[in-house]
This record gives sequence, C-alpha cells and structure tokens, in this order.
Amino acid sequence: MTTHAPQAMQSVTLPSSLDEAVAALGAMPAAVPVAGGTDLMAAVNKGLLRPSGLVGLSRISELRGWHYQDGHALLGAGLTHARMGRPDFAALIPALAASARAAGPPQIRNAGTLGGNIATAAPTGDALPVLAALEAELVIAGPGGARREIPVSHLLAGREMLEPAELIGFVRVPLLHAPQVFLKATGRTGPGRATASVAIVLDPARRGVRCAVGAIAPMPLRPLEAEHWIASLIDWDGERGLAPDALAAFGEYVAAACIPDQAPPDDGGEAPPLSPAVLHLRRTVAALARRALGRALS
Amino acid sequence: MTSDAATATSTTRTSPRPEGTGPGPDVEPPSRGLGASLPQTDARAKTEGTFPYAADLWAEGLLWAAVLRSPHAHARILSIDPSAAAAMPGVRAVVTHQDIPGDSMYGRSVVDRPVFASDLVRHHGEAIAAVAADHPDTARLAAAAIAVEYEVLEPVTDPEKAFAAEPLHPDGNLIRHIPLRYGDPEAVGEVIVEGLYRIGRQDPAPIGAEAGLAVPRPDGGVELYTASTDPHTDRDLAAACFGLDAERVKVVVTGVPGATGDREDPGFQIPLGLLALRTGCPVKLAATREESFLGHAHRHPTLLRYRHHADTEGRLVKVEAQILLDAGAYADASSESLAAAVAFACGPYVVPHAFIEGWVVRTNNPPSGHVRGEGAMQVCAAYEGQMDKLAAKLGLDPAELRLRNALSTGDILPTSQTVTCPAPVAELLQAVRDVPLPALPKDAPEDDWLLPGGPEGAGEPGAVRRGVGYALGMVHMLGAEGADEVSTATVRVHDGVATVICAAVETGQGFTTLARQIVQETLGIEEVHVAAVDTDQPPAGPATHGRHTWVSGGAVERAAKMVRTQLLQPLAHKFGMSTELLQIADGKITSYDGVLSTTVMEAMDGKELWATAQCRPHPTEPLDESGQGDAFVGLAFCAIRAVVDVDIEIGSVRVVDMAVAQDVGRVLNPSQLATRIEAGVTQGIGAALTENLRTARGLIRHPDLTGYALPTALDAPDIRIVKLVEERDVVAPFGAKAASAVPVVTSPAAVAAAVRAATGRPVNRLPIRPQAAVATPRP
Repeated sequence: MTTHAPQAMQSVTLPSSLDEAVAALGAMPAAVPVAGGTDLMAAVNKGLLRPSGLVGLSRISELRGWHYQDGHALLGAGLTHARMGRPDFAALIPALAASARAAGPPQIRNAGTLGGNIATAAPTGDALPVLAALEAELVIAGPGGARREIPVSHLLAGREMLEPAELIGFVRVPLLHAPQVFLKATGRTGPGRATASVAIVLDPARRGVRCAVGAIAPMPLRPLEAEHWIASLIDWDGERGLAPDALAAFGEYVAAACIPDQAPPDDGGEAPPLSPAVLHLRRTVAALARRALGRALS
Repeated sequence: MTSDAATATSTTRTSPRPEGTGPGPDVEPPSRGLGASLPQTDARAKTEGTFPYAADLWAEGLLWAAVLRSPHAHARILSIDPSAAAAMPGVRAVVTHQDIPGDSMYGRSVVDRPVFASDLVRHHGEAIAAVAADHPDTARLAAAAIAVEYEVLEPVTDPEKAFAAEPLHPDGNLIRHIPLRYGDPEAVGEVIVEGLYRIGRQDPAPIGAEAGLAVPRPDGGVELYTASTDPHTDRDLAAACFGLDAERVKVVVTGVPGATGDREDPGFQIPLGLLALRTGCPVKLAATREESFLGHAHRHPTLLRYRHHADTEGRLVKVEAQILLDAGAYADASSESLAAAVAFACGPYVVPHAFIEGWVVRTNNPPSGHVRGEGAMQVCAAYEGQMDKLAAKLGLDPAELRLRNALSTGDILPTSQTVTCPAPVAELLQAVRDVPLPALPKDAPEDDWLLPGGPEGAGEPGAVRRGVGYALGMVHMLGAEGADEVSTATVRVHDGVATVICAAVETGQGFTTLARQIVQETLGIEEVHVAAVDTDQPPAGPATHGRHTWVSGGAVERAAKMVRTQLLQPLAHKFGMSTELLQIADGKITSYDGVLSTTVMEAMDGKELWATAQCRPHPTEPLDESGQGDAFVGLAFCAIRAVVDVDIEIGSVRVVDMAVAQDVGRVLNPSQLATRIEAGVTQGIGAALTENLRTARGLIRHPDLTGYALPTALDAPDIRIVKLVEERDVVAPFGAKAASAVPVVTSPAAVAAAVRAATGRPVNRLPIRPQAAVATPRP
C-alpha cells in the first residue's frame, strides 16, 4: 500500500473577504489560517506541523490596507512589514514603521504581516513592543459578522484568547502626531532577531510617555512607574528636552523595572547576583531606553 | 560559513588591483591559460538556480530515507523495537545495527564510530536506525515510531573533566597527546604575559544540506550519488560496512553545495546504501537543516593556556602553552587537527624555546572534525592575543612587536622543521600596516553611516569606538605527518578538444577552472572539458588543505605535458630538433626560430592522444614523542589588519575593513583567488563574532540558521587585498600555494585584536560576546 494519497490530501481555501475566511474556518475547524507564512511554513518544512487544511488570507484586500476612524488608524492585519516600512506609513506611526523595517531580510518583510506577528506572538516579534506602547486594540472577527475588540496586551498576556473560527481583522492604533522611536539590539549587523528592543511613544495630548521593552520576556513589558516619572519631568509646553542625566536615569529605571534583581532568599541574607549575561542584557535595555527617549525628545 | 555564501556577498565589490596580481594596467591580462581570470563554467547555472545538486536527483520508483537520531547526549540503549515502524503502511525497510552485513564501525583515521549506535549513544544526533518509505513524511513518521528505550547517563561535556571521567569509548577518552619540547626548559624572559583563551564551536554550515541518492546495481553492488569531497575514502569505508568489495560500490560525485569541511561523510552514505541494498530500490535522503547541524562535524572547541616570555626589546624567548581540543565522541580527523595546533602554537614567529602540551579528548559534545584551517585557527586567536598583551606590557606598537619576531625562510619551527618555502611574513605585515586606514564617515550625512547594529539598529555615533588590530597566521598545505598525498589525472585530446579526467572534487574552490587553465597553458588548446568525478577513476584524495591546487593540478600538468610530448615528438623528429624548441600557442605549433609552423589539428592528424600521470610530493614524517619532525609539505602565510567599530555600551561590533596581504606563491587565476580570500576572511569574521553552535549539557540548542548566525552581506566588510606576494614555492607545481584556509585562520584573530584596541578589554574568547566588548566611555 502506498502512503502518497493521504499525505497529499490538503484543502486550501482562498477566501476574498474577512467574513468568508471566518466562515471557512468555522466549516473546517482543523484548518489553519495562513497569511505571510514566514513562521507557519517554516514549521511545516521542519515537520513540526502538518495542517490538514489551510485558509489563505492573502487575497483579502480589505486586510491589506488601512483606514481612519476617530483619531485612530484601523490597520489591516494583512499589512506586510514591507508596506508598513514605507514613508507614508512612517509619517503616521513612525515606531511601527521602524520596527517593520527592522523585522528581517527583505524576503521576510515582503511576506510577513502585522497580524501574523501578533498571532505568532514570538517574544522577538518586533511589532509587539510598539503595539504595547501604543496601547493598540485588536478588532477580532467572529462567525456571523461578529466583531469584538480586545487590547493587544490582553492577547499577548493570554488574558483573552482567540476563540475557534476567530481571526484578527484589524489593529486600532491611536494617531498621536508626536515622535516615536523603536530601537533593537541584535547579534549581527545584518538582519537578526532582537536580543532586546525598546519602543518609546510620546502622547503630548495626555502628557504621557509610553515605553515597552521587547524580546527579554515572553511578552512586551511596560515599565509604568518609569513612564510616569519621566513624563512628569518633561516640559510639555516648552522645549520637551531632558538633561542627559535624566535620560540616563530613565534608562536605568526602565532596565531595573524590566530585569529586576533577584529576590533575597526567605531566610534573609544577600540576594544572589544576576549572571553576567543578564547584567549585560540589563545594560543593553538601559542604553536602548536612554537612546530611544533621547531621540524622541530631540 | 560556506564559501558560496561568502562569495555571493563579496562579488559586488571591486577591489583596486592589488600589487603583484599579474600585469599592470598597460598589459592586457591573458584571457586563457595560467594567470587568466577564467570564470567558472557553472557560475551562471549556480547563480540562476538551475545547477543540479544531489537534493535535485530523481530515479523512477525511488524511496525516501529518514534517520532516527539520538535525542540524548549520553545514554545506554536498553532496547530498540522497530516493529511498529516496519508495520506502517508505505514503509519498505527499517535498518538498525543488527542489519549491517559488513563492519559495524567506521572511521577515517581511527575506526571507532558505529554506523548505528547499538548499546550506547555518545552524542546528540547519533544515528540509531534508518527507514526507507515511499514518501518522505512517512519515512520521518516511521523513524519517530521506532521504540528506543534509553537509560540516560550523565554526559561528559567539559573537556577538562574528560581525563578523569569514566571512559566514553573502549579506546579511552584521550585521543592524542603531543608534548612538544623544543629548546631549553629553564629559559626565562624578562617580560612574561599569560592568558587563557576559549574558542567556540564553528559549524561549516554548508549552504546546501546533505543529500544523496543510492541506486542498487544488478550485480549486487550499489551506486551512491552524493556530494562527497573524498569519494574514494568514502567508498572504501562504505563498502566495508556493506560487506562488499570496493569495486562493487561506486560513489558518483554530484554538484557540491558548499564545502568548507568534509561533506556527506560516511555517516550519511552508509545508511542510504544499506537501505538501497535491502530494498532493491533507489533510495534518496535529503537532510533537513536540523539534521545537517546534528549530523556533520564541527570545528574543535578549544581551550588554550599560554605563557609568553620575551626580552625587554620584545623578542620572544620562550612560549609555553597547553592546548585542549574537544573532539566530541569520535576521533575523526582530530589527530591531524591537534598536530596543526601544536606545531603552529607559536605562530609565524621565531621562538628559540617552546614547550607545548596538546591534548584532544572525547566528550559527549557534538563531533568535531575537519573544517578549513582546523587547529591553526584556534591557536592563531590565542598567540595573537598574547602578542597584543606583550606589546601592551612593553609599550610597543603591536605591529612593531610582531615585525621584530617575524619568521622568514631558513628559520626553524618549534617542530625542528626548517622553513624551506618562501615565508615573507614581515613583508606581508608591512604591506597591511602601510596601507591607509579607511576614512571615518564624519563628512557623510549621519543617516548614511553604517553603525554597529545595522542600518535600522540602535547604534549611536557617540558610543562608537574604532579599533585597529593586526594578526599573522599560518597553515600547512596538504596532509601532514606522513600522509600519502597522491593524485592521478588523465588528459585526452581529440579533434582539437581536450578532456581532463581527475577525481579531484570541485567544491567551489575552482579546481575544474584551474585544470582547464593548466591544459590551455600546456597544450595551447582553447576548449577543455573536465569530466564529472566518480570512483571508477583513480583516486585524487580529499578536497582539503589546498591539495588539489598542488597535487591534482600537478598531475594534470604532467599528463598534459606527456600529451604535448606525444604530439610534438614526430614533428621534432622530422625537423631534427628537440620538443623543447617547439611552442604551442593559439592552436598553432611553431619552432623557436619561426621557420616551422603548423596547426595542432594538422599535427594531430585525426589521432587521439591520452596520457595519465601522478603527482606525489615529497614525503613527510609523523611528529615524534616530543613533537619533533618534518611533518609538513608546505606552509602558507597571511597578514590581516582589521578595522572595527564597536558600540561600547551595547557591545555590538561591525567589521569596517579588512586589509589582507597573503603569500600565494603564484597567482593562477586572479579573480578566483580574490574570491577565495574574501570567502575565507568572511568565514573568519563569522567565527570571530557570531558563529558558535551552542550546547547545553551536550544537546545542540538551536540547530537552525536563526540560532546559528552566519555573516550576511551587511556583516561582510570591505575586504581589500593589498598585496599578494608571488614568491614561487619551488617544490609546488607552478610555484602556487593554497589560498583558501589561511585567511580563515587569521581573520578571527585580527578582529579580536581590533576589538581589544577599541575597548581596552582582554577579548580572550571567540566568538566575541557583546558583554566582552563593552567599555566605560571616556569622559
């Protein structure tokens, strides 16, 4: 008996609208949605995953652009990194554009999508700290045209999950009309995964600074106290600049909040020191946060 | 790092014509023959992706193989039950250690490695069984369905602990120990520096993973279509395991997708052949990237402890060193690597007294073997670190200190071998020192700067420090210590077309191009074909240590000369002059005085001319019990000046510029030579900055190209070949030296020296970790 036939049997659906895609997923619960396929197909090629069906999202044109809605941009989940990296997008949401340009080699950026970056939720996903700092909301499409909204941080933290036959349709991002910076540290000069990344977003209307640190934990981390403290030092109506000491202190504050010292043992005594590699990571986060804020305020 | 990848990154750059690469701008470079930049014939097909590699092969009714590999670094196998796998639909055969008709062990120099583990697994990824099925996924699922019961044992992963550990192998944990003793042990210098150095595990990471096709023959033999780099040795090892005469096994070499180490070693070929013999069907194996990382040999991770003694003028008095190579579980080529490490432990410097202890030991780490520049690369990083330390202690310029100690022809190595070949070490160093430094980008707009961390990275000009470092390296050419280096080649001429038949494998090093140039030069025939390689041809040996340029190139030249004699003898006889007085050029034969002139076609008169010749360089001898002996046929040298930018807060490093001066004997193909040097330098940059196959308790942690970061086009710097010293090596055919390995040896040390200069940190570990490249900013 040959095993060729059953292996070859795979259904591929190519819906042309978001609701059709949701319906296709509902009709075949074992099918896996695929957009750019940069992570999914690598897993298939490795033999880790053998989905019995695929629902391709690349023909859903409504997901490949964006539109505006009460001071927000509603970004289609099918926006590629390459598209987000272009200057017109960078003028809207500079930090997301910077993270898209840093997201890998051109082949990956041409295929990989914003929604895929969120759904994969890899700790090194470059868009994630930016979305966390922007406090983005996800518009989730469900069966029968249902739509619900959840904060991106809830999905990344696992507080709210996607239900069966649900898809990430859009990402709602505020248009802040203020400087934003995304910086990442990698192991090489060429494209590589982040060892640490920092997104800084200024929100002058609310007189806020929002910061998220990526790649060092399973999800982006927000150093809220450091954000409030530094926002209180900024002269929002004036030059907005900060002294180098304040920037450096902010960096240290962010790094210490995201990579805390180890807790002292229960029986008292000294806390064990951090390993040299972790200390270096903390130093890197501090440098990235300091540089990012400095660039945002300059 | 593969040569192909490195080449691709560097072809867009045009280096200024280096000194000594043939004629100046007034003289038209030759378009054929030696010295011409003849392009590789398959370059276009390879670039366009139409060149067929082993993974592209197909045969009617072929089966797919999958290999079951150990998930443990060290474990006792209690039982293997293949029945569930064998019962799966589509599965045609399952083979384990019980199904090997011939020898159950193999090995290149030491027979110590089981084809399939039977009672013990000694490293992560060791083969336990193989499956043939009608679909690759079925084969993989079936391999996973083989039930193996393990008793997991504590792995020995620290080579320093291997000496005292329980033997991991019946042969014991110590594979080789060389205590080199040269000079007076009591000698002491006025200045002493010490250092401890660690070199990581570089992977050859060929751009194409291992693949092969085995086709059973009607006579009960088998043909293996694979990208072997040493087909005859592989055939002999495989035949012994199949229980067949060597004549009934044929290895046919397919296109080689990158080889900076051994490729498609018998560990891949033997299971494939066994399955083809068992099923009577063609069987194909195409390794995944993960299997490739698990299955092939890596560069030896090395621990080095050094003490250099010098006088107050900076002249070396004595070098003491302890060198420990981690072989992994099996011996493979470790003995040769250790010999190179010990012999070149002092580098290309004159050292009156040397005491070097070298060991290579077994551990449960991934297996080590031949990777370009093995042994020599690890010690280069260490002795150059010592030279920088010594320069700092004496307050001398690092280049000046090196010049004061540079080796030259006639000096004696610590193995007591006299350097008889050209050794223009000082000239090379002066060349890289004197070339102007690359300009700082301060006049360009800040957005155009390529800072450490890359174009969209976090680099900030204020935190970047530039450093300049020097390194000198040396390697041996050809097999060492009494290896019988011989190659056989045949040249055939018919109808004005020449064909070369030689079993030297084209790995991308350019042998086929060189063979065409040699025949063009000797016979004046434009059209030269080089036949595909298989083991029905006489052996030419492994494609390592630059041996094909020397030995196989030498054999081709001799065969071509014999054809030349056959062609000219009748004419010479007719005109009463010796064949030396006749010249062949552009398809014409002319006498020295121009009186006689005829065409090659006319002289051939429809005849077919054949000649076969061998080249066997002068013999070498093994190192004796105190590490002494004339172990090497030839030596090659290189000097590199590295310029790096370091972001001293984050510790990211970008190599800006590498100035290379190399001792090449004679330039046979300028563009090919430049490519080899650029590829070697880039492979060395990988070893210096990013390439380290990390393990945890013997398990490879990230067997993929995301976790194992190769240099990309952005990581490859401007590589400037500032000088090629063409001092012919009289014992080498054409006087040419191998060029690929010595840049790999030298460039990691140069990068480390430059990072040291930029940061003031010791930098005693390769690859350089970011935390080792951070420094406190100067106020």
